[in-house]
Amino acid sequence: MTVAESRTDKINAIVRASRLILRMNPARPELQKSDAIYYKMLATYFTRLLEAPQKGGFVAAHTVFFPTEILYAMDIVPMHTELTTWMAAMFLGEQAELLAGGAELGLAPEICSPHRGLAGAFLLKALPRPDVMLWSSLICDNSAKSGELVMKLNDCPGFFLDRPFQRTKPEVDYFVGELGRMIDFLEQLSGKKMNWDRLSEMVARMDEHIKLLQEISELRKAVPSPFPYQGYLKLLSVDYMFPGQPEATEYLETLRDELAAMVKAGKGAVGKERFRIMTLFIPPMYMSGFLEKISQEYGAVSVVEPLFTLWMEGGLDPSKPLESVAKKSFLIPESRTMYGPLSKQMLDEVVQIARDYKVDGAVYWAFIGCRHTCATIKLFKDVLNEIDIPMLTVDCDLVDPTINSKEEIREKLERFFELLEER
Amino acid sequence: MEVKKAVGLDVGSQTTKAVVLDGTGILASAVITSGDDAEASAKAAIEQALQQTGLQFDSNLYITATGIGAKSVSFSHQQKGLTTCLARGLHHLLPSVQLAIDIGAESSTVVKLNERGKLSDYANHDKCAAGTGIFLQQMAKLMLMSLEEMSAHSFKAKNRADVTNTCAVFAESEVISHVHRVPPTPKEDIIAGIFYSVVSRIMTMCKRIGIKKDVAITGGVALNKGLVHVFEQEFGFALLVPESPQAVAALGAAIVSKETLEKGT
Repeated sequence: MTVAESRTDKINAIVRASRLILRMNPARPELQKSDAIYYKMLATYFTRLLEAPQKGGFVAAHTVFFPTEILYAMDIVPMHTELTTWMAAMFLGEQAELLAGGAELGLAPEICSPHRGLAGAFLLKALPRPDVMLWSSLICDNSAKSGELVMKLNDCPGFFLDRPFQRTKPEVDYFVGELGRMIDFLEQLSGKKMNWDRLSEMVARMDEHIKLLQEISELRKAVPSPFPYQGYLKLLSVDYMFPGQPEATEYLETLRDELAAMVKAGKGAVGKERFRIMTLFIPPMYMSGFLEKISQEYGAVSVVEPLFTLWMEGGLDPSKPLESVAKKSFLIPESRTMYGPLSKQMLDEVVQIARDYKVDGAVYWAFIGCRHTCATIKLFKDVLNEIDIPMLTVDCDLVDPTINSKEEIREKLERFFELLEER
Repeated sequence: MEVKKAVGLDVGSQTTKAVVLDGTGILASAVITSGDDAEASAKAAIEQALQQTGLQFDSNLYITATGIGAKSVSFSHQQKGLTTCLARGLHHLLPSVQLAIDIGAESSTVVKLNERGKLSDYANHDKCAAGTGIFLQQMAKLMLMSLEEMSAHSFKAKNRADVTNTCAVFAESEVISHVHRVPPTPKEDIIAGIFYSVVSRIMTMCKRIGIKKDVAITGGVALNKGLVHVFEQEFGFALLVPESPQAVAALGAAIVSKETLEKGT
C-alpha cells in the first residue's frame, strides 16, 4: 500500500464546478434563485476546506449522518467524507480511480461503493488529510468500520460515536453522554471550545429546517407536483452538510417559496404529469441528469421519498442543545430503514404516505452494496401491493457506473411506466 | 380504402416472431431464426407470415414491435415492452391465466395479470444466462444431446444432481464434474439437476410477485416437456401451455396494434 502525495485538485474541481454552475445557472427558471444559493453554499463549503490549512482551521473528517452541527458550533471545519469523495468523482468522472484505490486496500466489490471510494480517495490523497476522523454507528456497519481505516491512512486521531439502536430513554441518555464525551475529546485535541449558545442557535435553526422540509413535502402533494427529480440529492446534501446553518435556512425558504409559486400557478416539475412516483432509497447519483431527462420524457415525477426527505417529527428544543442533537439523530428519515428497527408503524406510514401523495407506483433503487436496506424490499413491495401500487426494483449502484448501463435503466423504467399506463 | 392489418413482431435474439390479425382473429403467423440484422429478420418474419395470406409487405400494415431487438426495427409504428405484450397475448389465448412464465433465449420474465387481464406486476432477470434458453442450449451441448432428448431423459431420473442456479459458468463446471466423476453421475440425474436449476431460479421470481392460478408458460422453452414437468412438480399443479408458446408476445403486440388502430391514433 503506497499512500500518494497530498493533492487539492479534486476539491478545487468541486469549487470550480460549483462556481461554473452558479454562473451558468442552468436550472429551470422557477427554481433559479434556490439553485444559485445551493451552488454558492457548495462553493463556500469546499473553499473553507481548501483554505483551512492556511487559515489555521482544524479539519474534522466525518462519515454520513454524523452530527455536523457540533463541529460548526465549535468552529471546526467539517469534511463530509462520502459527499466530498463523490462530488469530486462525479464532477471529474473519476469514480473508477477511487474505486480502484479502495480495491488496492483490499475492500471487496461487495462492500458499499461510497465507502470503498472514500477509502480509495484517502489512499490517493484526493481528499486533504484531516486533523481528526469522526465516525459513528449511524448508519451502517460500513460507516462503523470506515473511520478506523481512514485514521490509519491519514495517521490521525479519531473518535467513534456510538449511537444506540433503539430510541428508549436510557439509550437516548447514553447517546447524550457519548456526545458530551466526544465534545471533551474535540476540545482537548483542537484547543477549540464548544460555544453552547451557538449550538442552541443551530438547534433552533435545525428545528426550523425540519419545518421547512415538511412544508416542501406538503407542497409536493400538489397535482401536478412541482419538485424536479434532481432536487432530491440537493435536499439530502443540504441536511448532510449544512445542519443548522443560516445559508441552509435561506436555501430551504427560497425553495419553499418557489415551489409554492409553482403550485399556485398550477405548474408541475414536468410538462405533463403522467406518473406520480414514490422513490425508495437513492437512484444512481451519477445518472442524475439522465434520470431527470427520463422524468421529463415520460412525465414521471418523484413526489415523495419517505425514507430520505420526508421528516415526520420535529420539536427540537434549543434550551436543551445536546439532547436535541441526540433527538435529531433519531428523527432523520434514513435511520428508519438503514439503521432500524423497521417497525410495522413505519410500513403503515409508507402506505399512508402513498395515499396522501396520490402515488401511482414506487421505484426501489436497490443499491447492491447496501444489504441491510435491500433486505426490506419485499416488505415495502408487499404493503404497497396491498393497496394496488406496483413497485419496481432496480438493482443498481449509487456511484459505480459499471453495474448498469443507461440503456438498461431506461428499458426498466419504460417497462414500468408501461405497466402503470396499462392499469 | 382497405383497412390496415394489425401486425405484432417479437424480435428475440434467437427467433423472430410475427403475427398478423384481421377483424376475425389470427390471419397468419411465422417464427423464423433471427439473423445478425434485427430489422432484416423482422421484415423476413412478416413477409413469411404474409405469404400465407396473399398480402404484400406494404404500407397497409400497422406494426407494433417488442422484444430485445424492437428498437432496431425502423419500420415499426410503435414499440411496447415484452411484459405488456405477453399479458395481452396470454389473456387473449388463456383468459384464466393470472401468472405467466416466459423463458426466452437471453432472459426470463414472470408476469402477473389482474382479473381484467391487464399486466399488474412482473419480475425478470437478465444479469446472467442461468435460467434462460441459452443456458439450456449450452447444457445440451455439454450433454451431447438435443433439447428434445434431454427432455425425454429427464423423466427417467431417479435422483437430482446439484447444479447451481446463480451462474451459468459455475453451473457448466459443475455439470462437467458430474460427467467426469468416477463413477459418473447418471445423465438423467444431471439433466434433472439442470432443469431444477432453471426452475428454482424462476420460482423465486414467481414467489416474489405472488403465485396465483392459473399459471402458464410461454417462450420456446415451454416446448420442453421435461422442464415443464419440473415446474409442475414445484407448483403442485399443471401449467397451461399455449399452442404456439413462442408467438404469444408477438400476438400481444398484434393486439396492441389492433387496439391502436381502433382508437384511430
